[in-house]
Amino acid sequence: MRVMIQMRPAPDVVEAVIDPSVRTTAADVAGPIPGVALDPDYEPVPVPRPQPAAPGGDPLSLESMTFSMTPERATVLVRGEIQDYDVASRYAMLGLARPDIVAISSDPVIESMPTCGGDGPVGDWHDVQNKLTDHLKSEGMDGEGVALAILDTGINVAHVSEVLGQPVTVDESRSWKPSGVTGNFGQFPVDHGSMCAFDTRITAPRATLLDLPVLLSTKPVILGLLSDAVAAFAHLRNVLDAMPQEQRALVVSNSWGSFKPTWDFPPGHPGNYSDNPAHPFNLSVSALEQAGADILFAAGNCGRECPDGRCGFPDRPINGANSHPRVLSVGGVDTRGARVGYSSQGPGRLSRRKPDICTYTHFAGSKAFGPNEPDSGTSAATPVAAGVVAAIRSQLPVGELSPAEMRTLLRRTADDLGMAGYDFDYGYGTIDAAAIVEAVRRRRKNGRHH
Amino acid sequence: MTQGPVVLVTVTLPAGATLGDALRRYDLTPDQVDQEYGLVSVDPAQGLYALLVTADAAERITGTPGTPGAAGPYANPSIEPYGPPQPGPARGDDEG
Repeated sequence: MRVMIQMRPAPDVVEAVIDPSVRTTAADVAGPIPGVALDPDYEPVPVPRPQPAAPGGDPLSLESMTFSMTPERATVLVRGEIQDYDVASRYAMLGLARPDIVAISSDPVIESMPTCGGDGPVGDWHDVQNKLTDHLKSEGMDGEGVALAILDTGINVAHVSEVLGQPVTVDESRSWKPSGVTGNFGQFPVDHGSMCAFDTRITAPRATLLDLPVLLSTKPVILGLLSDAVAAFAHLRNVLDAMPQEQRALVVSNSWGSFKPTWDFPPGHPGNYSDNPAHPFNLSVSALEQAGADILFAAGNCGRECPDGRCGFPDRPINGANSHPRVLSVGGVDTRGARVGYSSQGPGRLSRRKPDICTYTHFAGSKAFGPNEPDSGTSAATPVAAGVVAAIRSQLPVGELSPAEMRTLLRRTADDLGMAGYDFDYGYGTIDAAAIVEAVRRRRKNGRHH
Repeated sequence: MTQGPVVLVTVTLPAGATLGDALRRYDLTPDQVDQEYGLVSVDPAQGLYALLVTADAAERITGTPGTPGAAGPYANPSIEPYGPPQPGPARGDDEG
């Protein structure tokens, strides 16, 4: 968390801060403060002390005040960062550790309006390709030999092929649909699933797509049920088991979730989903990851600045498997690198440090929702990220890099945006393909690639 | 009350178990179970499977005394695509 720290150093230090001809630094004023990373580029600012205009006046009244800038009475403002974790205790301990601290307050980011739902596209999919794909291709990372499962509304390969300008197919033999869903794999109506398929192809042009339309309605009113996802994951477990142990390469892209706590048992109930790692679906996620799958989930579109109208959680909207410790939870940034206002913020419900990372969304891409509509939501960011994972996987199968190590690779190489280190807006930062490639090269040089 | 076999429960069975094994082990009739959904493996290492059953059957096998190895009912919420973002309340709608 960014903070402003108001201090009362020795009068000679205050005098130096007040004197415009003298350059002072945060270190001159504050020295080292335990647990605080001071901003060395922020020149300390003198703060005059308010006092009653007349002797004996009300010291707590904002009327009739004067301000004293004498070194004995003025204070000095510096700024820095403290960890997000347990902020209240850290404030209290700072006050004890440093009696010269007068006050600490948050220093929120002042920024322009973020990209929101309904806004036009910011850049196009070629921008995403330039930022991510070209680096990966230089290392032969293109998704070749990797199965990439899209759990969504079904894929229309004719549409995706036409917009992409390249033939796209799905592997029907390894695809799966819930009972009662009609239609053929790769031939479902153009919708959300086609957007997801398109977006994986940006970064993993040679991955093999598996079509799992779990979100197609088989019953009135509702779109899909979590039990369909349980069955889909059981199918993917069979897909994975059919691969040789050391050559396993299955990436699972999930741009969906549960918006409404009213469909769930309340947290604390043994049947609850949102907060319960023992729910059957959360267990099936663990089992599939344990078997070698890379699983990605969208963080969701319930960001504070412009949440999706369907968001029903009053707080901590990243819930259930979308917040699972064994998945990569993906937030969204536009192609300028700014977090989109609808990208859900952490902490997550099953695991606090969610989202894990961010990547690009809200760009002109698949045209699945119309010729001028962007590929948007953390729904689009997730398949972009899944494509990156599939691209890496094509060079590093599970025998050489476990799913947990894959997540660590993406986190450690992420371009740290927002506050220094992990934060609940961007996670560890945005996916940095150049840094990934560099890390893989170092890994090979150090003999960790066989 | 919701009708039909729509309640999500888990049961424990040996590896390679079939729906028939589940019906016998938990004394369920075919009409108490969503047979199209079937017996779905959740965690093979634990021998854990999912079933969709009627509310009465769920209560019998997971309640007290119940049948050892059965657990639930578990939430089976609707799931939806996370996009495109749909309009929410205008900023400030909940103020004053």
